[in-house]
Amino acid sequence: MKVCILGVGNILLSDEGFGVKLLHLLESKYTYEPPVKLVDGGTGGLRLLNEIATTENLLVLDTVNAKGKPGELVVYRKKELLSGSLPLKLSPHQIGIQEAISLSELIGGKLKDVRLIGVIPESLEASLELSRPVRQALPRAERLALAVLDEWGIKVKMKESQQTPKPRGGSRVRRRSDEDS
Amino acid sequence: MGKRIVVDPITRIEGHLRIEVVAENGYVKDAYSSAQMWRGIEVILKGRSPNDAWFFTQRICGVCTTVHAIASVRAVENALKLEVPYNAQMIRNIIISAHALHDHIVHFYHLSALDWVDVVSALKADPVKTARIAQSISDWKLNGVPTFRSVQEKLKKFVNSGQLGPFANGYWGHPAMKLPPEVNLLAVAHYLQALDYQRKADMAIAILGGKNPHIQNLAVGGVATAINPDNQATLNMERLYYVKQLLEEVREFVHKVYVPDVIAIGAFYKEWFNYGRGVDNYLAVPDLPQDTKGEKFDIPGGVLIGGRLSSFKPIKSFNDSFFIENVAECIAHSWYRGEWLRHPWKEETVPEYTGMPGGYIDGRGKYSWAKAPRFRTEKGYLPMQVGPLAQILTGYASGNRLVRKYVDSAISQLRSVLSTLGESPEGVGVDMLQSTPGRHLARALRAQVISDLALKQWQQLVDNIAKGDYEICNKATYPKGEIRGCGFHEAPRGTLSHWCVIENGRIKNYQCVVPSTWNSGPRDHSGQMGPYEASLVGNPVAQPERPLEVLRTIHSFDPCIACAVHMVEPHRGEVVRVKVL
Repeated sequence: MKVCILGVGNILLSDEGFGVKLLHLLESKYTYEPPVKLVDGGTGGLRLLNEIATTENLLVLDTVNAKGKPGELVVYRKKELLSGSLPLKLSPHQIGIQEAISLSELIGGKLKDVRLIGVIPESLEASLELSRPVRQALPRAERLALAVLDEWGIKVKMKESQQTPKPRGGSRVRRRSDEDS
Repeated sequence: MGKRIVVDPITRIEGHLRIEVVAENGYVKDAYSSAQMWRGIEVILKGRSPNDAWFFTQRICGVCTTVHAIASVRAVENALKLEVPYNAQMIRNIIISAHALHDHIVHFYHLSALDWVDVVSALKADPVKTARIAQSISDWKLNGVPTFRSVQEKLKKFVNSGQLGPFANGYWGHPAMKLPPEVNLLAVAHYLQALDYQRKADMAIAILGGKNPHIQNLAVGGVATAINPDNQATLNMERLYYVKQLLEEVREFVHKVYVPDVIAIGAFYKEWFNYGRGVDNYLAVPDLPQDTKGEKFDIPGGVLIGGRLSSFKPIKSFNDSFFIENVAECIAHSWYRGEWLRHPWKEETVPEYTGMPGGYIDGRGKYSWAKAPRFRTEKGYLPMQVGPLAQILTGYASGNRLVRKYVDSAISQLRSVLSTLGESPEGVGVDMLQSTPGRHLARALRAQVISDLALKQWQQLVDNIAKGDYEICNKATYPKGEIRGCGFHEAPRGTLSHWCVIENGRIKNYQCVVPSTWNSGPRDHSGQMGPYEASLVGNPVAQPERPLEVLRTIHSFDPCIACAVHMVEPHRGEVVRVKVL
């Protein structure tokens, strides 16, 4: 089964960068078995069609303008994304994820399951930083993403480099700074 | 009695654009174009290393990623007077070409064809007749009866499932839709095939650029794509030949499908060649540099005034002061503090939103986040239209062989299709490109020119590597004190320029003057309209509640308002408001 995790949004507009930042977190922290494809989609729209049309399970990470408090997370499924039952539109994009998903069906894509994990933003100002409530939502969103992958039968392992540093490494750093001073 | 029609937002474009027109007796009398979002991205770059600027600027917009990356490294190279190795120029040129091909194909089929093509009417078509028409205009391999039959069945299933998806916002059954069902089916079939070919162009970018949609291989001074014909981990012959194959497939699609389709659809809408001219001063910059300094180019650029080919004045190099000294931006009607008209190096970006009192645009005040770029000429600061039309017209005026060949051939094909339809081919010439459908045709012809040039760049790269030259980058060293640079690029939507001021190796000021700002910008200090605004005046509007004609003209520019806010928003489709004045 082919699985793709697609982080979308604009890292230059504070909370708009949530999806891409969560993607990079998942990319740097874990290994996946069988392997999954991790794509930093930015605000690619139709340019993401290739990834969407060639995967079976798609996990989208995004910023969502739903009702609720900043930092709250929402999860949508394929049916909700396609049926038009959600009052959503990936506007002002030329062609958004929803359109790309329905187009992928027209050209013979094999999508079986789609999930969208979205965060409600606080700020969309030009900045590389997430707002505090959205930054605090990252660990929860990470757990949600891992739960979706688990449901799809993906085994997720933390990379060795990510595990808590051993005391020896820590003391070496301290020693060097002592020498500097 | 006049009516004010507000379309907000314009759909099937990148970014948030609001258009207001005043219609009287079925025609547009006055028009306002308002960009509804502010980027402020330039602010993020202040204080950063110029080496990293391209990495951030390519995030400005999801559609124009490589475009902002290229303009950015060129701006810094220009400030440093840094040459770019031949291999790097060629690799960049192939990426630029592939991006343009991807973008033009998507724009015509997926973002604007639905203004002219009635998808629902295609269900009524006879696939046998469709195949006959298709084969009469092109020998494309996928123009057979089985293809059209299967597309029609797929479409039926799709429409019956109630999932209109990308077709949800069309003005189906509008009286301004003129194509017979068979031609509609032909266009829908090619719409689906185009999805495959835009993807092939994108794959070529991914191979050379490392990743898509954001390339990873640029560097100030060249590229970071290591070249070694025999090493699997670098750009080797196997990858290069795959790029060539992709470019050849896309070229065939452009020549045999895209160009003939635009000509055929244009012939059915002949009267539209009378609408949408607007600002007829044109600006295009040269691109696809052929040397390390940027003094010889495969695509010419320059300026035309008043739509006259005889007024052509060329822009000759990356250092040409004719371009660098004459660009300015005016904020008299833009939501920024002040009233100035300034050169980009001297601009400051202080937002000051004053809204739209009364809920509508009052043309006397400020009404857009877009600035109004102007070009200084002997006649003062003039608005300029940029985009493929500007590039094709300046190329034609300069006598460029390839541009002339494809423009002349398209005009003679248009004449012959018109004769087949029983219409008079009289008056069909280069001048009719200055119109709404003309912009689409110019874009298709630009794609045709570039599809040839892409392969030429490829051959030059391979020949150069065969000589044993593996150079890819010159090192950037930043001097103490202040330096300034301008980097320009003829992007799919037209002339893009990045302007940087660097002090002690850090960015002090950074401005992007983007094509859609040239075209979508508001009025200036002396009341001159921007190209979108001017092009709408005189357009027909059959039904104010369904202003399809307004969309046709605006979409023909390929707007990219580049705000790149990518929210899932609680808006559904386009909102059209009509107010009786």
